[in-house]
Amino acid sequence: MQNEKDFFDMLKEMYPQHPRKEFVSATENTLRQRARSMGKKRILTKFSVITGGVLVCAFIFSWLLFFNENGKISEVIQSVGGTSSSSAMDEKEPVVYIYHSHNIESYIPEIPAQQMYREQAYSDTKNVTLVGKELSRALKGLQVPSIHDETDIAGILKQRGLHFPDSYKVSRENLQKVLAENDSIRMVFDIHRDSTKRRDSTIEIKGKDYARIKLEVSKTSGNYETNKKFATQLHEQLEKLYPGLSIGVVEKGVNPQNTYNQDLHDNSVLLEVGSIENTLEETYRTMDVFAQVLKAILEE
Amino acid sequence: MIDSNNLESRIVEIYNLYYLDVYRFLVCFTGNQNDAEDLTQEVFIRVLKGLSNFNGNYQLKTWIFSIAKHVAIDHYRKKRFSSLFKDGFFNQLSSNEKRPDEEFEVTELKRFIHEAIAKLKPKYRAVVILRGINEFSINETSEILQCSASKVKVDYHRALKELERKLNIEIEGVLTNAK
Repeated sequence: MQNEKDFFDMLKEMYPQHPRKEFVSATENTLRQRARSMGKKRILTKFSVITGGVLVCAFIFSWLLFFNENGKISEVIQSVGGTSSSSAMDEKEPVVYIYHSHNIESYIPEIPAQQMYREQAYSDTKNVTLVGKELSRALKGLQVPSIHDETDIAGILKQRGLHFPDSYKVSRENLQKVLAENDSIRMVFDIHRDSTKRRDSTIEIKGKDYARIKLEVSKTSGNYETNKKFATQLHEQLEKLYPGLSIGVVEKGVNPQNTYNQDLHDNSVLLEVGSIENTLEETYRTMDVFAQVLKAILEE
Repeated sequence: MIDSNNLESRIVEIYNLYYLDVYRFLVCFTGNQNDAEDLTQEVFIRVLKGLSNFNGNYQLKTWIFSIAKHVAIDHYRKKRFSSLFKDGFFNQLSSNEKRPDEEFEVTELKRFIHEAIAKLKPKYRAVVILRGINEFSINETSEILQCSASKVKVDYHRALKELERKLNIEIEGVLTNAK
Protein backbone atom coordinates (compact mmCIF):
# COMPACT_ATOMS: atom_id res chain seq x y z
CA MET A 1 0.00 0.00 0.00
CA GLN A 2 1.62 3.30 -1.09
CA ASN A 3 -0.17 5.66 1.23
CA GLU A 4 -3.51 6.66 2.68
CA LYS A 5 -4.76 8.25 -0.49
CA ASP A 6 -4.21 5.17 -2.64
CA PHE A 7 -5.88 3.12 -0.02
CA PHE A 8 -8.99 5.28 0.11
CA ASP A 9 -9.19 5.54 -3.67
CA MET A 10 -9.13 1.78 -3.83
CA LEU A 11 -11.72 1.50 -1.11
CA LYS A 12 -13.96 3.91 -3.00
CA GLU A 13 -13.68 1.84 -6.15
CA MET A 14 -14.38 -1.40 -4.41
CA TYR A 15 -18.04 -0.93 -3.69
CA PRO A 16 -20.79 0.39 -5.95
CA GLN A 17 -20.66 4.11 -5.32
CA HIS A 18 -24.32 4.69 -6.10
CA PRO A 19 -27.34 2.95 -4.68
CA ARG A 20 -29.72 1.48 -7.24
CA LYS A 21 -32.09 4.01 -8.81
CA GLU A 22 -35.17 2.00 -7.82
CA PHE A 23 -33.98 2.06 -4.25
CA VAL A 24 -33.52 5.83 -4.25
CA SER A 25 -37.02 6.56 -5.49
CA ALA A 26 -38.65 3.84 -3.37
CA THR A 27 -37.06 5.26 -0.24
CA GLU A 28 -38.18 8.75 -1.13
CA ASN A 29 -41.74 7.49 -1.40
CA THR A 30 -41.51 5.65 1.90
CA LEU A 31 -40.30 8.82 3.58
CA ARG A 32 -43.10 10.88 2.01
CA GLN A 33 -45.73 8.48 3.29
CA ARG A 34 -44.26 8.35 6.76
CA ALA A 35 -43.99 12.14 6.91
CA ARG A 36 -47.64 12.48 5.90
CA SER A 37 -48.88 10.07 8.51
CA MET A 38 -46.70 11.76 11.13
CA GLY A 39 -48.16 15.15 10.15
CA LYS A 40 -51.66 13.80 10.77
CA LYS A 41 -50.65 12.37 14.12
CA ARG A 42 -49.09 15.64 15.13
CA ILE A 43 -52.21 17.63 14.31
CA LEU A 44 -54.16 15.17 16.42
CA THR A 45 -51.82 15.51 19.39
CA LYS A 46 -51.81 19.29 19.02
CA PHE A 47 -55.59 19.26 19.06
CA SER A 48 -55.73 17.06 22.14
CA VAL A 49 -53.17 19.22 23.95
CA ILE A 50 -55.19 22.34 23.23
CA THR A 51 -58.49 20.83 24.34
CA GLY A 52 -56.73 19.44 27.42
CA GLY A 53 -55.39 22.89 28.23
CA VAL A 54 -58.81 24.49 27.83
CA LEU A 55 -60.37 21.90 30.13
CA VAL A 56 -57.73 22.43 32.81
CA CYS A 57 -58.19 26.21 32.63
CA ALA A 58 -61.95 25.86 32.91
CA PHE A 59 -61.50 23.60 35.89
CA ILE A 60 -59.14 25.99 37.70
CA PHE A 61 -61.38 28.94 36.93
CA SER A 62 -64.49 27.27 38.31
CA TRP A 63 -62.56 26.05 41.30
CA LEU A 64 -61.39 29.59 42.04
CA LEU A 65 -64.91 30.98 41.61
CA PHE A 66 -66.27 28.34 43.90
CA PHE A 67 -63.86 29.19 46.71
CA ASN A 68 -63.88 32.89 46.03
CA GLU A 69 -65.14 33.83 49.49
CA ASN A 70 -61.89 32.54 50.91
CA GLY A 71 -59.48 35.49 51.21
CA LYS A 72 -56.35 33.54 50.35
CA ILE A 73 -57.72 32.31 47.12
CA SER A 74 -58.76 35.69 45.83
CA GLU A 75 -55.09 36.59 46.16
CA VAL A 76 -54.33 33.63 43.97
CA ILE A 77 -56.78 34.94 41.41
CA GLN A 78 -55.03 38.28 41.42
CA SER A 79 -51.67 36.73 40.93
CA VAL A 80 -53.02 34.50 38.20
CA GLY A 81 -54.51 37.57 36.53
CA GLY A 82 -51.17 39.34 36.93
CA THR A 83 -49.14 36.64 35.28
CA SER A 84 -51.56 36.25 32.46
CA SER A 85 -51.33 39.94 31.62
CA SER A 86 -47.52 39.85 31.69
CA SER A 87 -47.48 36.76 29.51
CA ALA A 88 -49.65 38.68 27.07
CA MET A 89 -46.78 41.19 26.88
CA ASP A 90 -44.32 38.40 26.23
CA GLU A 91 -46.42 37.12 23.42
CA LYS A 92 -45.64 40.18 21.36
CA GLU A 93 -43.28 38.79 18.83
CA PRO A 94 -39.61 39.71 19.02
CA VAL A 95 -38.35 41.95 16.21
CA VAL A 96 -34.70 42.40 17.20
CA TYR A 97 -32.15 39.69 17.92
CA ILE A 98 -29.02 40.68 19.87
CA TYR A 99 -26.10 38.35 20.41
CA HIS A 100 -22.38 38.31 21.08
CA SER A 101 -20.02 36.09 19.12
CA HIS A 102 -17.14 37.38 21.26
CA ASN A 103 -19.09 37.52 24.48
CA ILE A 104 -16.11 38.04 26.79
CA GLU A 105 -14.88 41.24 25.13
CA SER A 106 -14.70 43.83 27.85
CA TYR A 107 -13.62 47.36 28.70
CA ILE A 108 -10.36 48.10 30.54
CA PRO A 109 -11.80 50.61 33.06
CA GLU A 110 -14.24 47.90 34.19
CA ILE A 111 -11.62 45.25 34.94
CA PRO A 112 -9.54 45.21 38.14
CA ALA A 113 -5.87 45.51 37.17
CA GLN A 114 -4.91 42.09 38.57
CA GLN A 115 -7.47 40.36 36.37
CA MET A 116 -6.09 41.78 33.16
CA TYR A 117 -5.07 38.93 30.97
CA ARG A 118 -2.09 39.66 28.77
CA GLU A 119 -3.20 43.27 28.60
CA GLN A 120 -6.25 42.23 26.66
CA ALA A 121 -9.61 43.31 27.88
CA TYR A 122 -11.61 40.15 28.41
CA SER A 123 -13.87 39.27 31.29
CA ASP A 124 -16.23 36.43 32.05
CA THR A 125 -18.69 38.66 33.85
CA LYS A 126 -18.26 42.35 33.07
CA ASN A 127 -18.27 42.21 29.32
CA VAL A 128 -20.01 43.21 26.14
CA THR A 129 -23.03 41.04 27.05
CA LEU A 130 -24.05 43.84 29.43
CA VAL A 131 -24.10 46.25 26.49
CA GLY A 132 -26.54 43.99 24.64
CA LYS A 133 -28.60 43.68 27.79
CA GLU A 134 -28.87 47.46 28.01
CA LEU A 135 -29.96 47.67 24.37
CA SER A 136 -32.57 45.00 24.98
CA ARG A 137 -33.79 46.86 28.09
CA ALA A 138 -33.93 50.20 26.25
CA LEU A 139 -35.89 48.59 23.40
CA LYS A 140 -38.33 47.10 25.86
CA GLY A 141 -38.89 50.59 27.28
CA LEU A 142 -39.87 51.68 23.78
CA GLN A 143 -42.22 48.68 23.37
CA VAL A 144 -39.89 46.98 20.92
CA PRO A 145 -39.63 43.31 21.92
CA SER A 146 -36.24 41.73 21.41
CA ILE A 147 -34.35 38.55 22.11
CA HIS A 148 -31.03 38.97 23.88
CA ASP A 149 -28.87 35.90 23.57
CA GLU A 150 -26.54 35.72 26.57
CA THR A 151 -24.91 32.43 25.57
CA ASP A 152 -21.35 32.11 26.85
CA ILE A 153 -19.77 31.43 23.47
CA ALA A 154 -16.24 31.48 24.92
CA GLY A 155 -17.28 28.83 27.42
CA ILE A 156 -18.69 26.61 24.67
CA LEU A 157 -15.51 27.00 22.63
CA LYS A 158 -13.48 25.79 25.60
CA GLN A 159 -15.87 22.90 26.21
CA ARG A 160 -15.70 21.69 22.62
CA GLY A 161 -11.98 22.30 22.24
CA LEU A 162 -12.49 24.92 19.53
CA HIS A 163 -10.58 28.12 18.96
CA PHE A 164 -11.45 31.79 19.02
CA PRO A 165 -12.04 32.08 15.23
CA ASP A 166 -14.75 29.41 15.59
CA SER A 167 -16.85 31.84 17.68
CA TYR A 168 -18.98 32.72 14.69
CA LYS A 169 -19.74 29.08 13.98
CA VAL A 170 -20.96 28.61 17.54
CA SER A 171 -23.02 31.79 17.64
CA ARG A 172 -24.45 30.81 14.26
CA GLU A 173 -26.19 27.79 15.81
CA ASN A 174 -28.43 29.84 18.07
CA LEU A 175 -28.94 32.48 15.42
CA GLN A 176 -30.19 29.89 12.92
CA LYS A 177 -32.48 28.39 15.49
CA VAL A 178 -33.94 31.73 16.56
CA LEU A 179 -34.48 32.84 12.96
CA ALA A 180 -36.19 29.57 12.12
CA GLU A 181 -38.49 29.84 15.09
CA ASN A 182 -39.24 33.56 14.86
CA ASP A 183 -39.94 34.93 11.43
CA SER A 184 -40.87 38.18 13.17
CA ILE A 185 -37.18 39.09 13.59
CA ARG A 186 -36.42 42.14 11.48
CA MET A 187 -32.97 43.11 12.71
CA VAL A 188 -29.95 41.14 13.89
CA PHE A 189 -27.02 42.63 15.79
CA ASP A 190 -23.80 40.96 16.85
CA ILE A 191 -22.39 43.36 19.44
CA HIS A 192 -18.61 43.61 19.92
CA ARG A 193 -16.20 46.18 21.28
CA ASP A 194 -13.40 47.75 19.28
CA SER A 195 -9.76 48.11 20.31
CA THR A 196 -8.97 51.60 19.07
CA LYS A 197 -7.85 54.62 21.09
CA ARG A 198 -10.27 56.39 23.36
CA ARG A 199 -10.12 59.64 21.40
CA ASP A 200 -11.35 57.81 18.30
CA SER A 201 -14.10 55.87 20.04
CA THR A 202 -15.63 58.55 22.25
CA ILE A 203 -17.77 61.59 21.53
CA GLU A 204 -19.14 64.27 23.81
CA ILE A 205 -22.79 65.09 23.41
CA LYS A 206 -24.35 67.71 25.64
CA GLY A 207 -21.55 67.44 28.19
CA LYS A 208 -21.62 63.64 28.40
CA ASP A 209 -19.27 61.07 26.90
CA TYR A 210 -20.76 58.47 24.59
CA ALA A 211 -19.05 55.38 23.14
CA ARG A 212 -19.12 55.63 19.35
CA ILE A 213 -20.59 52.88 17.17
CA LYS A 214 -18.94 51.30 14.19
CA LEU A 215 -21.18 49.37 11.76
CA GLU A 216 -19.40 46.44 10.14
CA VAL A 217 -20.59 44.57 7.07
CA SER A 218 -19.01 41.47 5.58
CA LYS A 219 -18.13 41.78 1.89
CA THR A 220 -18.16 38.01 1.50
CA SER A 221 -21.49 37.00 3.01
CA GLY A 222 -23.46 36.88 -0.22
CA ASN A 223 -25.86 39.29 1.44
CA TYR A 224 -23.44 42.16 1.19
CA GLU A 225 -25.63 44.56 -0.78
CA THR A 226 -28.69 44.32 1.48
CA ASN A 227 -26.61 44.27 4.66
CA LYS A 228 -24.80 47.36 3.53
CA LYS A 229 -28.03 49.12 2.67
CA PHE A 230 -29.33 48.44 6.15
CA ALA A 231 -26.08 49.54 7.83
CA THR A 232 -26.12 52.75 5.81
CA GLN A 233 -29.69 53.38 6.85
CA LEU A 234 -28.66 52.99 10.50
CA HIS A 235 -25.71 55.31 10.00
CA GLU A 236 -27.83 57.99 8.35
CA GLN A 237 -30.47 57.83 11.05
CA LEU A 238 -27.79 58.07 13.76
CA GLU A 239 -26.25 61.04 11.98
CA LYS A 240 -29.61 62.75 11.85
CA LEU A 241 -30.27 62.37 15.57
CA TYR A 242 -26.76 62.37 17.08
CA PRO A 243 -24.16 63.55 14.56
CA GLY A 244 -20.76 61.92 15.06
CA LEU A 245 -21.98 59.06 17.24
CA SER A 246 -21.65 56.63 14.36
CA ILE A 247 -18.14 56.12 13.01
CA GLY A 248 -19.73 54.81 9.83
CA VAL A 249 -20.10 51.66 7.80
CA VAL A 250 -16.95 49.56 7.49
CA GLU A 251 -16.59 46.69 5.04
CA LYS A 252 -14.69 43.69 6.34
CA GLY A 253 -14.61 39.93 6.18
CA VAL A 254 -12.36 39.53 3.13
CA ASN A 255 -9.08 38.58 4.76
CA PRO A 256 -9.55 36.52 6.82
CA GLN A 257 -12.71 35.53 5.05
CA ASN A 258 -15.73 35.74 7.37
CA THR A 259 -19.41 36.22 6.70
CA TYR A 260 -20.09 37.16 10.35
CA ASN A 261 -23.24 35.08 9.78
CA GLN A 262 -24.68 37.99 7.84
CA ASP A 263 -25.77 35.61 5.12
CA LEU A 264 -28.57 34.51 7.44
CA HIS A 265 -30.50 37.78 7.54
CA ASP A 266 -30.89 40.81 5.30
CA ASN A 267 -30.76 43.29 8.15
CA SER A 268 -27.77 41.93 9.98
CA VAL A 269 -24.90 44.16 11.13
CA LEU A 270 -21.92 43.65 13.40
CA LEU A 271 -21.66 46.52 15.88
CA GLU A 272 -18.47 47.64 17.57
CA VAL A 273 -19.72 49.65 20.53
CA GLY A 274 -16.89 51.75 21.95
CA SER A 275 -13.38 50.43 22.41
CA ILE A 276 -11.30 48.88 25.18
CA GLU A 277 -10.79 52.32 26.68
CA ASN A 278 -14.46 53.18 27.13
CA THR A 279 -16.57 52.54 30.20
CA LEU A 280 -19.73 50.48 30.31
CA GLU A 281 -21.68 53.58 31.28
CA GLU A 282 -20.62 55.29 28.06
CA THR A 283 -21.77 52.30 26.05
CA TYR A 284 -25.09 52.22 27.91
CA ARG A 285 -25.75 55.83 26.91
CA THR A 286 -25.06 54.91 23.32
CA MET A 287 -27.38 51.91 23.49
CA ASP A 288 -30.22 54.04 24.85
CA VAL A 289 -29.83 56.32 21.85
CA PHE A 290 -29.40 53.42 19.44
CA ALA A 291 -32.67 51.93 20.66
CA GLN A 292 -34.46 55.12 19.66
CA VAL A 293 -32.88 54.94 16.23
CA LEU A 294 -34.05 51.36 15.80
CA LYS A 295 -37.54 52.26 16.89
CA ALA A 296 -37.61 55.10 14.33
CA ILE A 297 -36.45 52.78 11.56
CA LEU A 298 -38.95 50.08 12.52
CA GLU A 299 -41.76 52.60 12.33
CA GLU A 300 -40.78 53.83 8.90
CA MET B 1 -38.52 24.57 13.86
CA ILE B 2 -40.45 22.37 11.52
CA ASP B 3 -44.01 22.97 10.54
CA SER B 4 -45.98 19.76 10.34
CA ASN B 5 -47.30 20.76 6.92
CA ASN B 6 -43.93 20.95 5.28
CA LEU B 7 -42.43 17.99 7.12
CA GLU B 8 -42.81 15.97 3.96
CA SER B 9 -41.07 18.42 1.68
CA ARG B 10 -38.38 18.98 4.29
CA ILE B 11 -37.53 15.31 4.72
CA VAL B 12 -37.49 14.81 0.95
CA GLU B 13 -35.18 17.76 0.57
CA ILE B 14 -32.85 16.48 3.28
CA TYR B 15 -32.95 12.99 1.83
CA ASN B 16 -32.02 14.15 -1.64
CA LEU B 17 -29.19 16.27 -0.27
CA TYR B 18 -27.58 13.62 1.84
CA TYR B 19 -28.58 10.12 0.76
CA LEU B 20 -25.50 9.63 -1.39
CA ASP B 21 -23.07 10.63 1.36
CA VAL B 22 -24.85 8.45 3.87
CA TYR B 23 -24.97 5.53 1.45
CA ARG B 24 -21.24 5.81 0.74
CA PHE B 25 -20.45 5.78 4.42
CA LEU B 26 -22.60 2.71 4.92
CA VAL B 27 -21.43 0.81 1.87
CA CYS B 28 -17.85 1.14 3.05
CA PHE B 29 -18.85 0.27 6.58
CA THR B 30 -20.84 -2.84 5.70
CA GLY B 31 -19.05 -3.75 2.49
CA ASN B 32 -22.33 -4.76 0.92
CA GLN B 33 -24.71 -2.82 -1.32
CA ASN B 34 -27.93 -4.44 -0.10
CA ASP B 35 -27.13 -3.84 3.54
CA ALA B 36 -26.03 -0.29 2.79
CA GLU B 37 -29.32 0.47 1.03
CA ASP B 38 -31.43 -0.97 3.82
CA LEU B 39 -29.47 0.94 6.40
CA THR B 40 -29.63 4.17 4.41
CA GLN B 41 -33.39 3.92 4.51
CA GLU B 42 -33.27 3.21 8.22
CA VAL B 43 -31.12 6.32 8.79
CA PHE B 44 -33.56 8.62 7.04
CA ILE B 45 -36.54 7.15 8.83
CA ARG B 46 -34.77 7.95 12.08
CA VAL B 47 -33.95 11.43 10.76
CA LEU B 48 -37.63 11.96 10.01
CA LYS B 49 -38.64 10.86 13.49
CA GLY B 50 -36.05 13.07 15.14
CA LEU B 51 -36.47 16.09 12.93
CA SER B 52 -38.94 17.86 15.19
CA ASN B 53 -36.53 17.51 18.11
CA PHE B 54 -33.49 18.54 16.12
CA ASN B 55 -32.33 21.55 18.07
CA GLY B 56 -29.87 23.25 15.80
CA ASN B 57 -27.03 22.73 18.27
CA TYR B 58 -25.39 20.69 15.56
CA GLN B 59 -25.02 21.10 11.88
CA LEU B 60 -27.68 19.10 10.11
CA LYS B 61 -25.13 17.02 8.24
CA THR B 62 -23.15 16.00 11.31
CA TRP B 63 -26.39 15.17 13.09
CA ILE B 64 -27.47 12.90 10.24
CA PHE B 65 -24.10 11.20 10.28
CA SER B 66 -24.22 10.63 14.01
CA ILE B 67 -27.46 8.76 13.33
CA ALA B 68 -25.83 6.87 10.48
CA LYS B 69 -23.00 5.84 12.81
CA HIS B 70 -25.50 4.50 15.35
CA VAL B 71 -27.38 2.59 12.69
CA ALA B 72 -24.14 1.13 11.34
CA ILE B 73 -22.96 0.00 14.75
CA ASP B 74 -26.34 -1.48 15.67
CA HIS B 75 -26.20 -3.44 12.42
CA TYR B 76 -22.65 -4.58 13.21
CA ARG B 77 -23.75 -5.92 16.60
CA LYS B 78 -26.65 -7.85 15.10
CA LYS B 79 -24.46 -9.27 12.40
CA ARG B 80 -21.52 -10.21 14.57
CA PHE B 81 -23.35 -13.15 16.03
CA SER B 82 -24.12 -14.80 12.71
CA SER B 83 -20.72 -14.00 11.22
CA LEU B 84 -18.97 -15.85 14.03
CA PHE B 85 -19.82 -19.03 12.20
CA LYS B 86 -19.69 -17.83 8.62
CA ASP B 87 -16.35 -16.01 8.57
CA GLY B 88 -14.15 -18.94 9.45
CA PHE B 89 -15.79 -21.10 6.84
CA PHE B 90 -15.35 -18.66 3.98
CA ASN B 91 -11.80 -17.78 4.88
CA GLN B 92 -10.83 -21.38 4.63
CA LEU B 93 -12.44 -21.76 1.24
CA SER B 94 -10.97 -18.68 -0.38
CA SER B 95 -7.45 -19.18 0.90
CA ASN B 96 -7.32 -22.57 -0.75
CA GLU B 97 -7.49 -21.24 -4.28
CA LYS B 98 -4.21 -19.98 -5.73
CA ARG B 99 -4.10 -18.21 -9.09
CA PRO B 100 -1.01 -16.01 -9.22
CA ASP B 101 -1.89 -13.96 -12.31
CA GLU B 102 -2.09 -10.18 -12.35
CA GLU B 103 -5.83 -9.78 -12.47
CA PHE B 104 -6.04 -12.02 -9.53
CA GLU B 105 -3.64 -9.85 -7.56
CA VAL B 106 -5.90 -6.83 -7.95
CA THR B 107 -9.02 -8.64 -6.89
CA GLU B 108 -7.05 -10.33 -4.16
CA LEU B 109 -5.83 -6.96 -2.90
CA LYS B 110 -9.41 -5.75 -2.88
CA ARG B 111 -10.44 -8.73 -0.89
CA PHE B 112 -7.71 -7.99 1.62
CA ILE B 113 -8.82 -4.40 1.95
CA HIS B 114 -12.37 -5.53 2.37
CA GLU B 115 -11.36 -7.97 5.06
CA ALA B 116 -9.02 -5.58 6.79
CA ILE B 117 -11.79 -2.98 6.99
CA ALA B 118 -14.34 -5.56 8.07
CA LYS B 119 -12.10 -6.78 10.87
CA LEU B 120 -11.43 -3.29 12.15
CA LYS B 121 -13.22 -2.43 15.39
CA PRO B 122 -16.39 -0.56 14.49
CA LYS B 123 -15.33 2.66 16.18
CA TYR B 124 -12.08 2.67 14.20
CA ARG B 125 -13.96 1.75 11.06
CA ALA B 126 -16.31 4.70 11.52
CA VAL B 127 -13.50 7.17 12.04
CA VAL B 128 -11.53 5.92 9.03
CA ILE B 129 -14.52 6.13 6.70
CA LEU B 130 -15.75 9.48 7.98
CA ARG B 131 -12.31 11.05 7.55
CA GLY B 132 -11.11 9.17 4.49
CA ILE B 133 -14.22 8.61 2.39
CA ASN B 134 -16.69 11.25 3.51
CA GLU B 135 -13.86 13.74 4.02
CA PHE B 136 -15.20 15.29 7.20
CA SER B 137 -12.90 17.62 9.12
CA ILE B 138 -11.55 16.57 12.49
CA ASN B 139 -13.99 18.87 14.26
CA GLU B 140 -16.97 17.57 12.32
CA THR B 141 -15.92 13.99 12.96
CA SER B 142 -15.62 14.70 16.66
CA GLU B 143 -19.14 16.14 16.61
CA ILE B 144 -20.50 13.07 14.84
CA LEU B 145 -18.78 10.60 17.11
CA GLN B 146 -19.35 12.81 20.14
CA CYS B 147 -15.82 12.73 21.36
CA SER B 148 -12.96 15.21 21.49
CA ALA B 149 -10.99 16.27 18.43
CA SER B 150 -7.83 14.79 19.86
CA LYS B 151 -9.52 11.40 20.29
CA VAL B 152 -10.50 11.53 16.62
CA LYS B 153 -6.89 12.17 15.64
CA VAL B 154 -5.56 9.38 17.83
CA ASP B 155 -8.20 6.87 16.75
CA TYR B 156 -7.70 7.72 13.11
CA HIS B 157 -3.97 7.12 13.26
CA ARG B 158 -4.32 3.94 15.26
CA ALA B 159 -6.90 2.68 12.80
CA LEU B 160 -4.66 3.39 9.83
CA LYS B 161 -1.76 1.63 11.52
CA GLU B 162 -3.96 -1.32 12.31
CA LEU B 163 -5.12 -1.47 8.68
CA GLU B 164 -1.59 -1.27 7.41
CA ARG B 165 -0.54 -4.05 9.73
CA LYS B 166 -3.39 -6.29 8.68
CA LEU B 167 -2.78 -5.67 5.00
CA ASN B 168 0.94 -6.35 5.28
CA ILE B 169 0.31 -9.64 7.01
CA GLU B 170 -2.14 -10.77 4.37
CA ILE B 171 -0.05 -9.65 1.43
CA GLU B 172 3.01 -11.41 2.80
CA GLY B 173 0.86 -14.47 3.30
CA VAL B 174 -0.08 -14.51 -0.39
CA LEU B 175 3.47 -14.03 -1.53
CA THR B 176 4.70 -16.99 0.44
CA ASN B 177 1.78 -19.06 -0.78
CA ALA B 178 2.49 -18.12 -4.39
CA LYS B 179 6.10 -19.22 -4.30
